[in-house]
Amino acid sequence: MATETVTVRVPAKAGHVALLRTAVGGYAARDRFTLEQVDDLRMAVEEAAVQLLRHARGERIELDMSGTDSGLEIRVHADVVGEEPVIDQTSFSWSILRALADDVQVEMRQRHATIVLLKHRLPEQDEGADGAGG
Amino acid sequence: MTTGYTRDDTKRLFAVLRQTNDPEIRDALAKLHLPLVEYLAKRFKDRGEPLDDLIQVGSVGLLKAIDRFDLGREVEFSTYATPTIVGELKRYFRDKGWAVRVPRRLQELSLRLNKIIAQLTQELGRSPLIPEIAKAAGVSEEEVLEALESGQAYSTTSLDAPSSDDDDAPNRGDRLGEEDFRLDNLEYFASLAPLIEQLPERERTILYLRFFRGMTQSRIAEQVGISQMHVSRLLNRILEFLRQGMEGEAQY
Repeated sequence: MATETVTVRVPAKAGHVALLRTAVGGYAARDRFTLEQVDDLRMAVEEAAVQLLRHARGERIELDMSGTDSGLEIRVHADVVGEEPVIDQTSFSWSILRALADDVQVEMRQRHATIVLLKHRLPEQDEGADGAGG
Repeated sequence: MTTGYTRDDTKRLFAVLRQTNDPEIRDALAKLHLPLVEYLAKRFKDRGEPLDDLIQVGSVGLLKAIDRFDLGREVEFSTYATPTIVGELKRYFRDKGWAVRVPRRLQELSLRLNKIIAQLTQELGRSPLIPEIAKAAGVSEEEVLEALESGQAYSTTSLDAPSSDDDDAPNRGDRLGEEDFRLDNLEYFASLAPLIEQLPERERTILYLRFFRGMTQSRIAEQVGISQMHVSRLLNRILEFLRQGMEGEAQY
């Protein structure tokens, strides 16, 4: 599968988190994700963005979405204050992300934090008797 | 609908309820006075909210009134309950002030999708894809997404009330059973504990099942006796509440 990356960049302000949420919903809905998975992704991206905002020092927060063979890789990232991981693995936030995504990682690189979320799409054979749609 | 209740029934039921605290009696009283709620809800029907939703909101007021009514009072229960029910409805509109205004068309689609999604989930044995929902509903995928987003927005303030798809759901209290959320599971998150304590029991259960037991929304829906979309709305609202709570300003 092609791995073109779609990026949405918004000001690092709480009011723009909803847009990231909508963006990932729209993206995932066009891939083979179920309604519940789409909802999971929206919630996960919101949670990731909210956590980044708490530590953000820059002006922007970015959402990168790339299709992979098995699903969707999402990277939510921003410049942050400090070098500590933005999400502690003992936190409630971590539990939420773990429940919503199939894999979660937090990367810290030169005061730039990236929360990586992986979500598997529905396997081909599990698709219902749906035609090309439309 | 004609009312099937008499004042004597009401008095008798209240007498039993106060002695036994039997939830079935409480339900019976609620059913008996549903026509009152419907009547009052209709007074608000021109404000752009589905009547079903208003009736649900009003029902919350009715239950509050049932719990608070003192038999020793000289007033009839319906007289006592009316301001509580109207108050609940007014509060609903007041709370909605900040919420996104959702066009009626989307509200209706959202309600319709609720049923379609439940059907598809049953047929497929899994949560449906967006194209599957669109096809079944005869609308575009765009519209499905729009309606789902709006469903979120418009129910952010009304979740204390059961949603319209819950009419035939079994009594929730009975369904939670052994999966009841226990606060000590989360005591670890010390800063959250006081917030979680403020959540109604059902919301706590949903929070626990989804984020700590990894249960899917559909399974939670089955377990709790509400629709998957309702579970989704509740989850979103709970997270929003916890976030605001962490910032210091929250009211559930």
